[in-house]
Amino acid sequence: MLKKIKNLNFYELLEISPTATKQEIHKAYERIRRVYEPNSIALYSLFTQEEIAAIHQRIEEAYRTLVYEDNRKRYDAVLRDRNCLDKDNPPASPHLKSQPRFVQAAFSLPSENRYLDKPEPTLQLSQQQTASKPPQEKNTPVSNLVTEFTGPTIKILREQRGLTIRNIADTTKISSRYLEYIETENFKKLPALTYLRGFLTNYAKALGCEPERMVGDYMKRYDAALPKKTDSN
Amino acid sequence: MIIDTTPQDALQKKEIWAIGGGKGGIGKSLITGNIGIHLAHLKKKVLLVDADLGGANLHTTLGIGVPDVTLSDFLNRRIENIQDVIIKTAIPNLSLISGAQDFLDSANPNFAHKTQLLRHLETLEADYILMDLGAGTSLNILDFFLFSDYGILVVLPEPTAIENAYRFIKSAFYRRFKRVVTNQGIKDMIDAAMDQKNSMGIRTPYDLIERVKQMEKEVGEILELEMMQFKPKLIVNQVRTKNDIQIGFAMKSACQKYFGFDLEYLGYVEYDDCVWQSIRSKRPLAVEYPYSRSSRCIERIVNNLLRKEQLLFNMLY
Repeated sequence: MLKKIKNLNFYELLEISPTATKQEIHKAYERIRRVYEPNSIALYSLFTQEEIAAIHQRIEEAYRTLVYEDNRKRYDAVLRDRNCLDKDNPPASPHLKSQPRFVQAAFSLPSENRYLDKPEPTLQLSQQQTASKPPQEKNTPVSNLVTEFTGPTIKILREQRGLTIRNIADTTKISSRYLEYIETENFKKLPALTYLRGFLTNYAKALGCEPERMVGDYMKRYDAALPKKTDSN
Repeated sequence: MIIDTTPQDALQKKEIWAIGGGKGGIGKSLITGNIGIHLAHLKKKVLLVDADLGGANLHTTLGIGVPDVTLSDFLNRRIENIQDVIIKTAIPNLSLISGAQDFLDSANPNFAHKTQLLRHLETLEADYILMDLGAGTSLNILDFFLFSDYGILVVLPEPTAIENAYRFIKSAFYRRFKRVVTNQGIKDMIDAAMDQKNSMGIRTPYDLIERVKQMEKEVGEILELEMMQFKPKLIVNQVRTKNDIQIGFAMKSACQKYFGFDLEYLGYVEYDDCVWQSIRSKRPLAVEYPYSRSSRCIERIVNNLLRKEQLLFNMLY
C-alpha cells in the first residue's frame, strides 16, 4: 500500500534500514536534507514550497530522534510495540495501529512494498532531550555579524551552510587541499598571490559572501603572517 | 543466420527499449543512437526505430542522409512489409527504421495502427529494438513508452527539463491507469486528476488512489499495484558538476516519496564539446570520439542496461 510522506516512519523517511549505524544515519540525513532543500531543482513542479518546508522539518525531527541513542531507543520501542500489537492482538489504541516494516535504502536495489496506510505517531520528546540538539541546528546568520574573515571564520561559514570542503571543491574547481590550507591559514603552503586572490574570490562567491571583503581581510592576515614575501608577478 | 525463427522465439529474446523525456533538445536521439552503436559493437543485433513522428532526426545523429524509405511509408501502407523500410547502416549489426518525413497526417496514427506497428516490430530479427520517442506527452509517445519493455527517461539538470520529465511520468501512468480501468466514472476521475488544479483536491497519485478506493476498493488496489510495478529508468544528460549527478538520486528519492515507484538511475552523460562537434560533422559520437568522456558515460549506461543494474549512491565516493 502507498503511504504519504507525512506517514512514513523516520527510517523510511531517511531511506535507511532500522539497523542503520549512527554514521549511516548521519550520511543519510546529509543526503536527504540536500534532496529536500527549498531550491532543489529535482523537486521542481512536484512539491510546493510549503510541502518542502514541512518535509524538511520532519527530516530534522527524524535525525534528531535517531542520532541520539536514548531518543532512538524510545522510538524503536514504540515501533516494536506496534509491531507486536499488530501480530498478536488487535491494536489497543488508535495511535498504535500501524506496523513498521523494514526499509531498504533507496539507493539499494528495488525494495519490496514498504508502504503503510496508517499514520505514524510522533514521539513526545522530553524537555531535556529536545534541548540536546546537534550543532547543525544553530543556523543563525552570522555573515552580517562577521567582523573579519579569517580562516576559521570561513570554515564556520561553510559549515553553517551545510557544505563540506568537497562540495566547495566541486563547485569552485579549487583543489580541496588548498581550501583546507585557506581554512587552516597555512599561509606557507598557499599558492602565489594572484592565484590565492582568485581562489578566495571564488570561495566567497560559493559561500555567498562579499568577495572584496573576504579577499581584503584574508590578504591582510596573509601579509601580516608573511611580510617579506612578494608577488612573483 | 537463423532461418526458421518463429515469432515466439523472436519474442522471447527481444527487448524493446523506449527513450523519451518530455522535453525537446535534451539528447534523446543522440543517446539512442549511441546506445545502439555500443550495443552493436558488443555483437548484438540492434534495430533503431525513430518513433519521433513529427521531427525525426535519428538518421542524422548516425550520419545517414535523408532516407528513401521511412516509417510513414509503412504507416500509410505504401510499403506492406516492415522489413522493406529497414535501412542498413555502415556499422555492422546496426539497422534503422527512419522516422516520418512528411507532415501532419502520419504524425497521428490511431491506436490500431500503433499496435500493428509494434506487432510487426516484434517479428523482426533483432536482439534489441530501441525506439527514439519525440518530445511532448502526446498519446503516441506515451503509448510507445508504455508498450516497451523498458522505458528510459532522459533529463537535463535544469528545472525546465525536470518539470517536463515529471509531467511525462504523470501522463504515462495516468494513461496506464486508464487502460486498466473499465469503469467510466473512474476513467473520468483520472482525466480530471491530470489537471493539477482540479476541483476534487486530487494533487498526488496517492490522493487519486485513495479516491478510487473509496469508489471501488479492488480497482484502487489494482492501481496501487500498477503504480509500484511502473519502473522507468533515468539518464541525466549534460552533467557539469557532481551536484548535477546528484540530481538523479534526488529525483529517485522524490519519485519514491511522491509517486511511490522506483525510478532506476541508469547513469549520467557528462557535458562534452565532442558531442556538438560530432553532430556538426554528422558522424556518430561513438565512432568519431569513442574515447571521449561522454562516449564512455554512454558505454557505462549500456553496461548497466545489459546487467540490469543501476547507479548506486555510494559508487560516487
